[in-house]
Amino acid sequence: MQDLTKVVDLITKSNWLLLVVSAMVAVMTTSMSFYLGVVAGGLIVAVNFHLLKRTINNSIRPEVVSEKGRSLVGHVMVKYYIRFAVSALLIFLLISNHIVHPLGLLAGLSVVVASVFIVTLLVVTRLYFKEAV
Amino acid sequence: MEFLVGSVWAAGLAIGIAAFGCGLGQGIGLNGAMSGISRNPEAAGKIQVNMLIGLALIESLCIYALVVSLILMYAHPALEAATAALGAH
Repeated sequence: MQDLTKVVDLITKSNWLLLVVSAMVAVMTTSMSFYLGVVAGGLIVAVNFHLLKRTINNSIRPEVVSEKGRSLVGHVMVKYYIRFAVSALLIFLLISNHIVHPLGLLAGLSVVVASVFIVTLLVVTRLYFKEAV
Repeated sequence: MEFLVGSVWAAGLAIGIAAFGCGLGQGIGLNGAMSGISRNPEAAGKIQVNMLIGLALIESLCIYALVVSLILMYAHPALEAATAALGAH
């Protein structure tokens, strides 16, 4: 259980780390709009991940589940759609006004996915070497 | 003209199908998690963590589809050429 909580903490930290690193790489090697895209996309998904974590930590607990049952699914889904609508509005404004480069935005939006894969690789590697010893 | 109509159709279908699939996936995942926690409340922590990672990945898929559909409508590389050609006619 504690290991799994550590995994989530590691993902949260690596989100921010990856965002900073990718923003630094983008500011050094690409144009301003691409850099803005990476930063905006990274911020949107990192904040989304935080909100999702908070929703799940608050809603998906044994006492709440036994009390409310399956109506919790609707509750979490409504929160998901609100978050998605806000993200969609932000992304729409960024793209339609040509503030950011779309590929930069896609790169920024991949921050959470990339950090999940990196942490998974880390955990699997650690497990593999632990078992080998 | 067909190009613009095609772009708008593709954008609408892309986000529609993606949102449908992601909503379905999240609903099924949440449903399974609820059942798991109801049957075995002690496993709630493990279920929460795995569900969080799964939901984050599903959500990012939907956001990708949204970006692709917005690119098709507002930032398509050939959009300016198509609009200019439409204006010339």
